[in-house]
Amino acid sequence: MSVTLDSATDVAANHGHSAGGVPTTVATPTLRALLRRSSFWIFAFAGIVIVAIVGVFLSGGSNAAGRALAGDNAAPAGSMALVEVLRQQGVTVTLADSLVEVRDAVGADSTVLLFDENGYLDGDQLAELAELAARTVVVAPDFLTLQALAATVGFGGVSDASSLQADCVLPAANRAGELLPGGDTLSIPAGEHPLVTGCFASSTDTFSLIQVENEATGGIVSLVPDARVFNNENVTGYGNAALALGLLGESDSLVWYLPTLADLPRTGPPSLAALTPGWVSPVAVLLVLAAVAAAFWRGRRFGPLVAENLPVTVKASETMEGRARLYARSNARLRALDALRVGTVQRLARAVGLGRLAHLEEVVGAVAQITGGEPNQVRRVLVDAIPSSDAQLMALSDALQALEQATGRAVMASVVPAAEAAASASRDSSPPPAERMDP
Amino acid sequence: MTLSGRFVLLVALGVVPIVWFGPDTVAATGVLFIWLGVVLTLGGVDLALAASPRAVTVERMLPARVRLGESVTSELYLTNTGRRRLVAVVRDAWQPSAGAGRNRSRVAIPRGERRLVSLTLTPFRRGERRVEQVTVRTRGPLGLWNRQATLNAPGRIRVLPPFHARKHLPSRIARLKELDGRTSVMVRGQGTEFDSLREYVRGDDVRSIDWRATARRNDVMVRTWRPERDRRVVILLDTGRTSAARVDNEPRLDTAFEAALLLAALTSVAGDRVDFLAFDRRVRGRVQGASGAALLAQMVDSMAMIDPELIEMDWAAVPGQVRSITSQHALVVVLTSIDAAGASTGLLAVLPQLTKRHTVVVASVLDPATVLAAATRGGRDEIYRAAAAERALLDVARVSAAIRQLGADVVTASPAQLPPALADRYIALKAAGRL
Repeated sequence: MSVTLDSATDVAANHGHSAGGVPTTVATPTLRALLRRSSFWIFAFAGIVIVAIVGVFLSGGSNAAGRALAGDNAAPAGSMALVEVLRQQGVTVTLADSLVEVRDAVGADSTVLLFDENGYLDGDQLAELAELAARTVVVAPDFLTLQALAATVGFGGVSDASSLQADCVLPAANRAGELLPGGDTLSIPAGEHPLVTGCFASSTDTFSLIQVENEATGGIVSLVPDARVFNNENVTGYGNAALALGLLGESDSLVWYLPTLADLPRTGPPSLAALTPGWVSPVAVLLVLAAVAAAFWRGRRFGPLVAENLPVTVKASETMEGRARLYARSNARLRALDALRVGTVQRLARAVGLGRLAHLEEVVGAVAQITGGEPNQVRRVLVDAIPSSDAQLMALSDALQALEQATGRAVMASVVPAAEAAASASRDSSPPPAERMDP
Repeated sequence: MTLSGRFVLLVALGVVPIVWFGPDTVAATGVLFIWLGVVLTLGGVDLALAASPRAVTVERMLPARVRLGESVTSELYLTNTGRRRLVAVVRDAWQPSAGAGRNRSRVAIPRGERRLVSLTLTPFRRGERRVEQVTVRTRGPLGLWNRQATLNAPGRIRVLPPFHARKHLPSRIARLKELDGRTSVMVRGQGTEFDSLREYVRGDDVRSIDWRATARRNDVMVRTWRPERDRRVVILLDTGRTSAARVDNEPRLDTAFEAALLLAALTSVAGDRVDFLAFDRRVRGRVQGASGAALLAQMVDSMAMIDPELIEMDWAAVPGQVRSITSQHALVVVLTSIDAAGASTGLLAVLPQLTKRHTVVVASVLDPATVLAAATRGGRDEIYRAAAAERALLDVARVSAAIRQLGADVVTASPAQLPPALADRYIALKAAGRL
């Protein structure tokens, strides 16, 4: 490959071509043509994306259950209705996701609602929480919560009463009058418990609302085992709303606390991100981008591929090889030996001066005579012997070759002296022809 | 649009400022985005400043023919009709078998000027080698992003059969001239015709002395003889299924080409008329009525485009094809393959029709691997191979005998030996006056 950089006019003069003749057509489509050609796919893809986005917006929230009792969840399991009503009543409702937020938001006269569905909080955190606020409403407490906040209260199983009547001294319960039947209950053990009040009794010692007064701090903990009382779906039934508003709306400030993973204490060694310098992630991103660019650099084709139609070529000896493998696989020793014998016999016939169509017996006789061998032995090799093993086959094949070589030597030995004798005889008897013709 | 390695390197170099200026994640991410912005802007500017590869006019100068194994120069003229100076890499997209080697070249063309890109082609396959397109990749001043376009610039070059057998030609022509009256060695036979009288010189055959002329001229005169001239030779090439077989790393068809070319060269020297026909089920190539230098040129030209067809030869149509070439007595040389009896029945069936009117020679390549295998008897597998080879040779011998029985002549030889063997047979037939 070479590029000559002589001037354009020289090249044109040498080859009789003028520059700027017929413009060369371009096979690569322009960007505009490419866009026009693939406009259907572009629009189709855009349409699919738009439909997907619109679909997500339309169905957003209505299908999803969301977090149970979340203050910003309008689904049936949420509690947005209750929170909004409280706000309209002038209560400042703060939605908190961690104990830290609760600590920040809580005031001297606040109420805290705790619904720890997954049991994220441990005993210390619960104890701290109970001391934070004047009033704490615990929805569906688990065993650990009961241990921390109201050690005397136990579980009471599912209520089997057909209706739950307040029947107690608490004003909020009395205003509610009746509660959604059939939920979980808590039990108060038998004996004197002056600081524990139970309402909405299903039996003599199981209740759907228990209020416990802390003797030391004066804080009040209300335990509501049935979470359905507060959710959007059921809050309007029975006296649910009245009970909820009565318990939660007692002060101007309410902290609506649903614990999350953020409340779990961190343990173990520090993470990788904490140990590495800040530039590691951006450098990784940059190197990935460089790798993508390198892939594009190496992968971009330099023009379309060129087709090459290849000729058909077959090895001519394939039929021969195939036949040899067939012989070998079926151990066709006699057939193979016969093929070898036919070839040998033909060559022998030619060597001893018999024609192609000479009879086999003639060939055997002639070969035996010229090599001085036993006719029966020659006949055995050429005709009679039947190989019963591969070793015998090889021995016979070698014998055939030996016979051919012996015949060739014998023929040469008998021909050469005769030819020499004839040559010397002619030299003696006749003068050179040129002499004879001299005028 | 394409990228260059320089651009990739530039992107990767962003590691330095990110590490330098980014102690924490936020700062480092900021540097990352700034770097990406800078790099992309540079690339875009470079792309915008690159010359358009579409504004290139391509002209091509190609020799029409080349013999297989020889090299030619393909010339490509690129004219920059755009407004900017064009710095580009050009790929001339020849077929691989055109033997263009590394077909990318760098060019720099100022606006309005023209440059020559030359490429040495050494084709390694017979036939027509094509090029359809030229791809131009222009770079900008920074060499970051490139523009690329493929231009249509078709070209083709015909690669002719090599005719290696021409090395045998001088010796055969010498032997042909021995038949002629021009040398002192006189060969007299049935197929010779009276040429002229000349004075006797020492060494002439006394039987050639013309006594009447001697009496008239008062000097010893001899007759000279020359072989018959202006006979017809028809070379019929079988391009069917069996011609695709590869013997000694050469397809049978190519060996047949060599043999046909040597025979044609020899025949035209001898003064006979040669017609060439390549046939399987239809005519693939035909040269008729040419003589001298034009004959070989036309033959190699038509041979260049012939490839083996994977169909069975239509032997029944062969006599008709020969009849359409000549109705006189001719030497018909059939270049085919002699295999097992079953595969040759078609040939054997039509031979009587040909031999009734013409002298027929059937030429076939004999696989030297088969002959070697028949003599190699080292172990068990080799003995079975030898048996299969003997069997194949026997088949060839049988078919050859059948062909001879039908009045035709047979020439079989290894690929290297077939062209001279066929030429020798032609000389022998000519000497015997059987044309």
